Amino acid sequence: MNVTWDPKKALWKASKEYMVIFAILILGIVFSIASPYFLTINNMTNILLQATTLSVVAIGQAMVLLTGQMDLSLGQNVCLTGYIMAYLMNILEWNPWVAILAGLLTACMVGAVNGFLFAYCKIPAFIVTLGMQNICKGAAKLITNATPISRLPDEIAFFGRGYLWDAIPISVLIMLFLYVIIQFVSVKTKIGRQFYAVGGNSEAAFFAGINKKAVYLVAFTLAGLFAGISSVILISRLNSANVTNGNLYEFDAMISCVIGGISMTGGKGKVVSSLFGAVFLILFFNGMTMLNVDPFFQDVLKGMVLIAAIGIDVLRNRQKQA
Amino acid sequence: MEDRIALRIDEITKEFPGVRALDKVSFEINAGTVHALIGENGAGKSTLIKILAGIYMPDGGRILIDGEEKHFKSPGEAQAAGISVVHQEIKLAEPLTVAENIFLGRLLYTRLGLVDWKGMYRASREMIEGLGMDIPVDTPVERLTVAKKQIVEICKAIHRKSRILIMDEPSATLTEKELKVLFHIVRKLRKEGYTIIYISHRLDEIFDLADDITVLRDGRHIRTTPIGDITREELISLMVGREMGNEFPKEFYPVGEPILEVSHLSTKGFLKDISFQVKKGEVLGISGLVGAGRTELARAILGIDRVESGEILYKGEKGNWKNFRKSINAGLGLVPEDRKLQGLVQIFSVKENICMVAADKVIEKGIIRDKKKEEYGRAYINMLNVATPGTETEVQYLSGGNQQKVVIAKWLMQDSELLFLDEPTRGIDVGAKVEIYKLINKLVKEGKTIIMISSEMPELLGMCDRILVMHEGRLMGELSREEASQERIMEMCV
Repeated sequence: MNVTWDPKKALWKASKEYMVIFAILILGIVFSIASPYFLTINNMTNILLQATTLSVVAIGQAMVLLTGQMDLSLGQNVCLTGYIMAYLMNILEWNPWVAILAGLLTACMVGAVNGFLFAYCKIPAFIVTLGMQNICKGAAKLITNATPISRLPDEIAFFGRGYLWDAIPISVLIMLFLYVIIQFVSVKTKIGRQFYAVGGNSEAAFFAGINKKAVYLVAFTLAGLFAGISSVILISRLNSANVTNGNLYEFDAMISCVIGGISMTGGKGKVVSSLFGAVFLILFFNGMTMLNVDPFFQDVLKGMVLIAAIGIDVLRNRQKQA
Repeated sequence: MEDRIALRIDEITKEFPGVRALDKVSFEINAGTVHALIGENGAGKSTLIKILAGIYMPDGGRILIDGEEKHFKSPGEAQAAGISVVHQEIKLAEPLTVAENIFLGRLLYTRLGLVDWKGMYRASREMIEGLGMDIPVDTPVERLTVAKKQIVEICKAIHRKSRILIMDEPSATLTEKELKVLFHIVRKLRKEGYTIIYISHRLDEIFDLADDITVLRDGRHIRTTPIGDITREELISLMVGREMGNEFPKEFYPVGEPILEVSHLSTKGFLKDISFQVKKGEVLGISGLVGAGRTELARAILGIDRVESGEILYKGEKGNWKNFRKSINAGLGLVPEDRKLQGLVQIFSVKENICMVAADKVIEKGIIRDKKKEEYGRAYINMLNVATPGTETEVQYLSGGNQQKVVIAKWLMQDSELLFLDEPTRGIDVGAKVEIYKLINKLVKEGKTIIMISSEMPELLGMCDRILVMHEGRLMGELSREEASQERIMEMCV
């Protein structure tokens, strides 16, 4: 708490922090005017559902970004664990709950291996997770020769297709619940602050007695876990595991985080802001589709959004230094 | 030598939001002299240098080089006008060779338009030998010591035909021996007609080296005078703006039982058979050249580096700790040598940094209590007189001395009983140094024990009860406060 409270400054700070929310509103209004199909309950639900699986991955990516690293394996981790769970449920006819547990464990393992190789073997995170991305991609295809596994047991349907009072998707509630928890953990618990400290200056964190290797390990493992949770929701919603599940989620999650104000250099930003980033991203491309923008051109746009978002991050840091 | 004015600074003013960093500063620098520029942190030295180097543009005033008015819009323009800066934090392309660094941006080419390696190596070698030095010109710069990197920077400036050389705290990270070499080079350059602006916090070397001196304080020019016309005491009071009293306000308190006993400590490939003990309430100094193993000794004791053999007894119990956290929990602590990189998370607030070691104290039932964080932050800011606008201010905006207080506060909050201070006053100004020394007194008075590693001998001689001298990983000997002198330490550590 500072001695003086300047309302103008506070407003400016708030506007910077909540820029994404303004952007979402403006985008929403523009699309609503431009397309009659945009502002329909059906489309809004659709956007929310798509944003849900992405933003659960973005939570994990946010934690890794806070420590100053990145995880490029998250998307394919979603794909692989989806296949493993579907395979166990449908082909081996395991109890679906046990299959989900096995899937989540695999997802954690993938994350833990990333974290271990990075923190303890000192291989750059970029390389480790890029390698892991390919390992997951290949392993997923090996399981069923790249054919989809569809019609999953009814027990798991509610994760992705269930509704509370026939209106609110269960998956959205799960996602919101996870955000509340992780936002709380990141601000109010020791490990949360250690993510920030290690990302802010890993050396200084070490010399303050923080076990930074363990912190990295935890961050990557949790990121894996969230990829797994996202995967459960995704296979349930699509009622199938297939090779395109989670495709490019790692990048989209990264864009979401950066748009939300989480710094690529670590130690800065709010986990919850990645949710707004994800909604913005999905909204943007949904609107583009509604306006019949060429899907190939949408890819071009997405690349531009990523560069722009990171450019803004760089600019923000530069302003601080001046 | 004729008295020609190489550089005239005329009414230079520079404002930043909220502060006037330089306020109509005017003085002259004679050609072919070493001109010392001194002042506390925040006096405006760095701003002035940045203006001379073309990094900042002044809001008012003029710079005249050899009587000609100059307005630099970029560092390139300043260099073209003959001004080069050897920065405190050396800026070289680390993986490139010495020769490439000297010729950076102006490589030599053969007639075919290819890089003329032979020519560059030859020219670099001549330049380095001209300074009476010997550095292999095909070595990557990253493998050189800081002292040698400085020489590369100087050669770079010579190659650019600079006539005015600004050296920003060149001595801050050098050992006594390296310092002598640097002095030799500076004198040589002066003889050859170079004008040198020399910035330093160490008054000894200024009296040793400089011809003239300019004192800045709070952005104002206080005085420019030949060095012979001013005494050390006058200089200090001009810098600080008040009478300073004792530079080393050492107080003596009764010393207790041995608290830490190290016997036959060795680490793989570095420390060799080190034995010593510290008593409760003592201030023990560790002296030696950079690279003598002083920091490594602290790291080994604290469980950061692996101990190969030997025993550490802490309060009579075996203490060969497996990692840093364990030694912290046992009651030890470390204020690391690099404040910026190792001491603080620059983008964190003051209170967040203070609460980083003893994080458990602000946690109740697994949840961090902001109120407690605020309380602790405020308490230590008051106790240590940290000059900060508030607990929420990011530490990067504090001065060096105040940042160091924040680092120390972390360990006070942890209640560490035995504190290693590694170069605790590096790069901080005279006034803040005295405050750190007083803080050491206060800690000792409370029964805490201090082990101080320092390259500044006067501070070891002034503040310690006993001094250990190290050389190449070995303990060369021990001197009591009465026995110790600069000469005796030097004899032991070479």
